[in-house]
Amino acid sequence: MKRISVLKKSSKNQPERFYPDYQSSILRSPKLDLIDFIPTNTEMTGPLFNHDIIGKLDSDLTINFSKDGSKAIGQEIFVHGYVKDQYGTPQKNVMIEIWQANAGGKYRHPNDKSNVKLDENFSGCGRFITSSDGYYLFKTIQPGAYPFPNHGIKWRPMHIHFSLFGSSFAQRLITQMYFEGDPLISLCSMVNAIPNKKSRNYLIAKLDLSKSESEKILGYKFDIVLRGKDQTFFENRLEGL
Amino acid sequence: MKKKANTLLETPFQTAGPFVHIGCTPNLIGINNVFKSDFGLRPFKNVPKNKLINISGTVFDGSGVPVYDVMIETWQCNSEGIYIKGEGFGRVIPDFESGEFIFNTVKPGFTKNENGKPQSPHILFWIVARGINQPLVTRMYFDENETKNDYLFKKIKDKERQKTLLAKKIDENNYLFNINLQGEEETVFFDF
Repeated sequence: MKRISVLKKSSKNQPERFYPDYQSSILRSPKLDLIDFIPTNTEMTGPLFNHDIIGKLDSDLTINFSKDGSKAIGQEIFVHGYVKDQYGTPQKNVMIEIWQANAGGKYRHPNDKSNVKLDENFSGCGRFITSSDGYYLFKTIQPGAYPFPNHGIKWRPMHIHFSLFGSSFAQRLITQMYFEGDPLISLCSMVNAIPNKKSRNYLIAKLDLSKSESEKILGYKFDIVLRGKDQTFFENRLEGL
Repeated sequence: MKKKANTLLETPFQTAGPFVHIGCTPNLIGINNVFKSDFGLRPFKNVPKNKLINISGTVFDGSGVPVYDVMIETWQCNSEGIYIKGEGFGRVIPDFESGEFIFNTVKPGFTKNENGKPQSPHILFWIVARGINQPLVTRMYFDENETKNDYLFKKIKDKERQKTLLAKKIDENNYLFNINLQGEEETVFFDF
């Protein structure tokens, strides 16, 4: 029978859980060692999503909260790319959810207490399920940078949050996308918690003029790599299968 | 599994931040006219309410303060021990004032790993919040079920620490499961 597993994560490619420069991690990271194990059927399964649960405007954040068709304020952008695994295999039917601040750096959330104004036509959330070649596309607006408390006040680079469901919990990913050329990226403690520079660069979307439209919308390309799915074959059949 | 030389690096994790609910549970925070519905509000839609158990708890940081901005995803098999498409996935957010979360689900059954190793009834918890740089993964087990043969329980050598994974049974339908990110009763977290 087929047994599916995943490639091991590499710790130098992942942010350190305890990273004191990022103040919030100090009390929210375990002190004891995590228990390592080979994923079981619990981790090698997960929720699967059908394309029909996605609404037409779910992936267009410029209008998906609009009441009268007015667009959200800000520079319109396309964010697009391919989702693959570590072997380069396209990952189809991956649920991608994104959320972001508005053009002024304010989130539509009861716990965002900043004085910056909300944009009445902007929710900040979107979702998309990748096509058979692993492709996804969002239309949105450029989020603003914003200050936040971290050993005094620091600035977050412009970013969009991404959540992805692969084919199992072992491929589950939650991350953030940054914008090429933003000088705040190299100052960000959340980014710098990742030891490997090459891995940090994976989080930076590249300006993509080929995806820009009629001199109105800027394109950004952001490819995403989920953990590699390994298939090995076992001779013993499972009981009950 | 050994990492092979010609593979790509995986895209790294970043913290979900304190506003994860905008993207994952928008309808629960008042963003009501974008998505038809949120995922995971009811892990088992087709099971009648009187067949469900309630699980409540709080996630605490290292100073004993509730993690108010957490989002928890749960994943489990059904009461027969089978993982089914379209069932078993939950998303839970706490009350932003008290930090307490509560959800209804079915009590999972005993299941077997692919290689036949037994697994006691358990629910996977996947935890993200501000300050959590990589999602924290743990499991909730049930005090009334035997766990000595469980594949993962056996990997936890310290018997005292095993107890951090056991939900406390309050009555027939109600369980309490608190999670401590640090401290004397730090919950066992897993990596895979």
